[in-house]
Amino acid sequence: MNRKKGDKGFESPRPYKLTHQVVCINNINFQRKSVVGYVELTIFPTVANLNRIKLNSKQCRIYRVRVNDLEAAFIYNDPTLEVCHHESKQRNLNYFSNAYAAAVSAVDPDAGNGELCIKVPSELWKHVDELKVLKVHINFSLDQPKGGLHFVVPNMEGSMAERGAHVFSCGYQNSTRFWFPCVDSYSELCTWKLEYTVDAAMVAVSNGDLVETVYTHDMRKKTFHYMLAIPTAASNISLAIGPFEILVDPYMHEVTHFCLPQLLPLLKHTTSYLHEVFEFYEEILTCRYPYSCFKTVFIDEAYVEVAAYASMSIFSTNLLHSAMIIDETPLTRRCLAQALAQQFFGCFISRMSWSDEWVLKGISGYIYGLWMKKTFGVNEYRHWIKQELDQIVAYELKTGGVLLHPIFGGGKEKDNPASHLHFSIKHPHTLSWEYYTMFQCKAHLVMRLIENRISMEFMLQVFNKLLSLASTASSQKFQSHMWSQMLVSTSGFLKSISNVSGKDIQPLIKQWVDQSGVVKFYGSFAFNRKRNVLELEIKQDYTSPGTQKYVGPLKVTVQELDGSFNHTLQIEENSLKHDIPCHSKSRRNKKKKIPLMNGEEVDMDLSAMDADSPLLWIRIDPDMSVLRKVEFEQSDFMWQYQLRYERDVVAQEEAILALEKFPTPASRLALTDILEQEQCFYRVRMLACFCLAKIANSMVSTWTGPPAMKSLFTRMFCCKTCPNIVKTNNFMNFQSYFLQKTMPVAMALLRDVHNLCPKEVLMFILDLIKYNDNRKNKFSDNYYRAELIDALANSVTPAVSVNNEVRTLDNLNPDVRLILEEITRFLNMEKLLPSYRHTITVSCLKAIRVLQKNGHVPSDPALFKSYAEYGHFVDVRIAALEAVVDYTKVDRSYEELQWLLTMVQNDPVPYIRHKILDMLTKNPPFTKNMESPLCNEALVDQLWKLMNSGTSHDWRLRCGAVDLYFTLFGLSRPSCLPLPELGLVLNLKEKKAVLNPTIIPESVANNQEPVNTTNNHGQPVVFQNTFSNSQEEEEIDMDTVHDSQAFIYHHLNMLERPSTPGKEQSSGEVTMHPVSAAPLSVFSKESNSSKHSDHHHHHHHEHKKKKKKHKHKHKHKHKHDSKEKEKEPFAFSNSPASARSIRSPSLSD
Amino acid sequence: MDVNISEIGRSAKSYCEHTARTQPTLSDIVVTLVEMGFNVETLPAYAKRSQRMVITAPPVTNQPVTPKALTAGQNKPHPSHIPGYFPEFPDPHTYIKTPTYREPVSDYQVLREKAASQRRDVERALTRFMAKTGETQSLFKDDVSTFPLIAARPFTVPYLTALLPSELEMQQMEETDSSEQDDQTDTENLPLHISTDDSGPEKENASVLQQNTSLSGSRNGEENMIDNPYLRPVKKPKIRRKK
Repeated sequence: MNRKKGDKGFESPRPYKLTHQVVCINNINFQRKSVVGYVELTIFPTVANLNRIKLNSKQCRIYRVRVNDLEAAFIYNDPTLEVCHHESKQRNLNYFSNAYAAAVSAVDPDAGNGELCIKVPSELWKHVDELKVLKVHINFSLDQPKGGLHFVVPNMEGSMAERGAHVFSCGYQNSTRFWFPCVDSYSELCTWKLEYTVDAAMVAVSNGDLVETVYTHDMRKKTFHYMLAIPTAASNISLAIGPFEILVDPYMHEVTHFCLPQLLPLLKHTTSYLHEVFEFYEEILTCRYPYSCFKTVFIDEAYVEVAAYASMSIFSTNLLHSAMIIDETPLTRRCLAQALAQQFFGCFISRMSWSDEWVLKGISGYIYGLWMKKTFGVNEYRHWIKQELDQIVAYELKTGGVLLHPIFGGGKEKDNPASHLHFSIKHPHTLSWEYYTMFQCKAHLVMRLIENRISMEFMLQVFNKLLSLASTASSQKFQSHMWSQMLVSTSGFLKSISNVSGKDIQPLIKQWVDQSGVVKFYGSFAFNRKRNVLELEIKQDYTSPGTQKYVGPLKVTVQELDGSFNHTLQIEENSLKHDIPCHSKSRRNKKKKIPLMNGEEVDMDLSAMDADSPLLWIRIDPDMSVLRKVEFEQSDFMWQYQLRYERDVVAQEEAILALEKFPTPASRLALTDILEQEQCFYRVRMLACFCLAKIANSMVSTWTGPPAMKSLFTRMFCCKTCPNIVKTNNFMNFQSYFLQKTMPVAMALLRDVHNLCPKEVLMFILDLIKYNDNRKNKFSDNYYRAELIDALANSVTPAVSVNNEVRTLDNLNPDVRLILEEITRFLNMEKLLPSYRHTITVSCLKAIRVLQKNGHVPSDPALFKSYAEYGHFVDVRIAALEAVVDYTKVDRSYEELQWLLTMVQNDPVPYIRHKILDMLTKNPPFTKNMESPLCNEALVDQLWKLMNSGTSHDWRLRCGAVDLYFTLFGLSRPSCLPLPELGLVLNLKEKKAVLNPTIIPESVANNQEPVNTTNNHGQPVVFQNTFSNSQEEEEIDMDTVHDSQAFIYHHLNMLERPSTPGKEQSSGEVTMHPVSAAPLSVFSKESNSSKHSDHHHHHHHEHKKKKKKHKHKHKHKHKHDSKEKEKEPFAFSNSPASARSIRSPSLSD
Repeated sequence: MDVNISEIGRSAKSYCEHTARTQPTLSDIVVTLVEMGFNVETLPAYAKRSQRMVITAPPVTNQPVTPKALTAGQNKPHPSHIPGYFPEFPDPHTYIKTPTYREPVSDYQVLREKAASQRRDVERALTRFMAKTGETQSLFKDDVSTFPLIAARPFTVPYLTALLPSELEMQQMEETDSSEQDDQTDTENLPLHISTDDSGPEKENASVLQQNTSLSGSRNGEENMIDNPYLRPVKKPKIRRKK
């Protein structure tokens, strides 16, 4: 959006500039989960006729708005609460996505919009015309927030501090508006003063410097005063309050760590490494950490594992670990490093608009990658890059592409750059979570491509330039126009690249940033002996979704007898064949060492190769400098040479995957050799295990000797004197630890001629479990034991069932009995001696599900449901839920699906809610082209409701619901619904019924707005008729956001007009209340509507099932409504003060 | 006769002691005899009398050999620091432990086998007991006793049990820390220790993961000087602050 303005700098979409904001939260009630406070924004108008100020606010009840101490009228309107209004029978996702994007646009701060519109009092107009400062003071409260702020209040005895109750801010992208009114944009920077009054036993951690902590008069509470002098976007403001234990970092005293009570020893160990990350980043960026302090807070029930905010990061408490834990250590360190990288790019340097997000994610991901390389080594780094590349390629090919830098033409939505997706990519809040993850992944890969082009040195210079510009700008205290230097834009970033490096990277940007899709290469070759030339053929597939055509250089590495040679081919439009001259004459009999790429010279046994050809192996794009998928054909011995002798781990992994197709003794030998080689990267060896298992299964009829890997395992990990007994655990050598964990899991995948797991292997694994002895080990063996259970689960094969007998104990397979014995014991022991992160319980639950699925144990979700309850550790819950999801699919259980969806709506933990939808999407009970008894109208309605209004408090959840809807029903109208015409007839009938006076409240309940109007006027309004007519007339298949937006507005305005006669009208569902009534009417409207939507929800459901009771219900409802209506005016007539005491006792605290 | 002989002995002893000796000599006896009024000159003639009665020595009866005290090995000689005049060590059997049981099983395989099955039995019994005394869940509808699962019970603070090492593990930690040297001599584990030293690029992550133990040492001294806003005392409210 800002791109057309070029690099002239940032132009604010708002007619004012925010310079300073005060957030004061003077009461937090953990019992009621409520927050009371005020904000004060200091703004400078930039245009003379500023008469409205639009701010963002969600969920907050706003009591009072004052501008320069004058009461100001305000309107609260949030179209995202309910995306599609008037319970229409419209059920197609296209329509929803457009409407949703329109709703988000309508409140998008980057377009100068907001949910809260404040009218500048007319007394101040003159003041504004002189562009003088305005102070906007807003009193608000938050009651039981469903998003934005998350309260964790354990249900036990004791004070809140003793219980470990805490609260923290959370959300996806800019979500600060959920907990205080602000300009919730990454591009509106200002300085901050933050004040939190909390219980004396609690600590409030927030952004900036803690200036002082002061007791209140009664000495029972204290106030934390924070100042943040570095201009920061509201979206980077965060808060965590709880009875935290405080740890000052022993290496850097300005860094403070916080964790929940009793976890201090873990915190000490976990954070003991952080200073090295700091040093690393500061060194490569040649720039000090921009903030004067840094805080890490570890909290429970985290929204995401890592969330970075200005000068503080919020982590999941589950990242904490003790020194005994091996597996979690690198993961946690990666999280810490990630969070810190985002401090520089993401928090300190912010973005101009959503389409510049890729720069920030790219840079922070890229420098995080550099840290990985330094810390875990080149092998791990390359492995990671390869993994990320594979992921993004798979995702793009599946969905049709990820676009880093979407450019939106002025309003023309027809040329939507992402028409292949079922959501709009115009806003972060409409993105599917998976898409966003992949987006970040692609961003850092593209940064790496840029580095390949301009060299790392220049790259770091560019970063340094961005940072030093920003830090100069940030110190300009009173020149807020300078602050836009702290915002990064795509064009600005590209400009500094060309300034610093002098290189033109435009083609690269065009290919990977401005355009979506990856490249798909198919390669094959032939050796021409006469000409001594390698004839390489490289084809591209650029017609499938998610692909694009690549034109440009492509590196090919050829390993010949005389050495390794790089060739750069020019991929052009029509040239498929490339002739590469070979350096070596074909095989000479002289035994000679063969030089490798890295200069090493090795002896090879060349007997396997083709005597006529000097080629050992060929690699296409070995440096991964194109976002691509390569399918290359070469013979098995070449893959084997590549596996044995190529030193690049990526090449080795590719070779392993390719060898799966060549089940020969030679492949077996190559894999076994790799497995035994201790110099080899451990992940390659782990991968080789699984490949070996597959090969062994393919070769089952000719396989000789003991089961694959058994003798190897015995040699490596079992006692010399008694080979059937494993040595006592000693995990000092991490490589062999990982190998020891993996081998049994892979071995369990072996199958004999009857396609059963060989008895020998099963016994072997059972022996490993039996003789496992960790008493002398320095490390915990919980992950190892968990993997042994996984191995048991892997060994399970489908039960032979005779005419569908019921699974009982008597006909239990004896092998399964042994397995079950172990699982039972492990699961029970976990209750007495729980393992770290309950890894063993997780594995046991998975194994039980495998047994159920294979028909050994009766399929029953009850066990999993009990483990999925709130109160279990999150990993356990996820594992249990996964099993329930799987059960839902396999047994097509409507009941379980309902249970899951109820949990999506009601579970206290946002992550679980999100994860259920995610798992349902990945493992759906049915898909759009499938007949399923589950697919019925009620389910459609339920899901529709969920994404339409049930998830308005959490962007991520709503997008998750959209994803699920898409997976189940596709983009168009679900096939299980009656034909649209029929739907309309039904609609007609309903609307006819509307005319019946007894049923009027039904339509009232159907829509929140009319209720409101009746409130204001004290009598029912008679426009239902027109309303229903217009709906019938409306052609519902909307193509564009524009249309639907207009559609919504049209209706809304129509509804609104009678309600506010004579009042000023602006677009949207807007009511301008007289000043005196404003504070209350807004909030009563909100509460009212939420109540009604509840009723409505309930009602609707009933409506489906019990049509007979229709009238009765409606009458009842009518009464209920009217009762409420009677109440409301009463509240209205009260003064704000008295209303407060009625509505919100927390205020008086 | 009897009296005379004992008198001779007694007196002879007195004489010799009188002259500060312990052993009576011939002259002492002579003096005694003279004192008692015997004519010493006549003694040789009396001894050489012809009709002297010869008392034959009592027949040497096969005296039952008193069984030798059970010697259980050689008495230990004195070590060098004990002067030789001290009494000898008592017989070894009085202080050496006598093995009265069978030779201990030292076979590694059997030991491991035993330890494993013992642990398994204990665990099984314990879990079964817990399952019997509490609520259970079952995988089979018709049978609740064969594979009893202790019922899942939600925690109020689930992360504590999941993250903190259990007491058993803590105990083990302390043990392994103190017995680290012993560990090195464990022959079964030795090869693994050696292999940690080999190099390779992937080695890096291993060394990074090794935790920093010197942390606690350096920190205590500095603690007092740290100026961190979170450690500062909370201020008292000022009077003017009125809300």
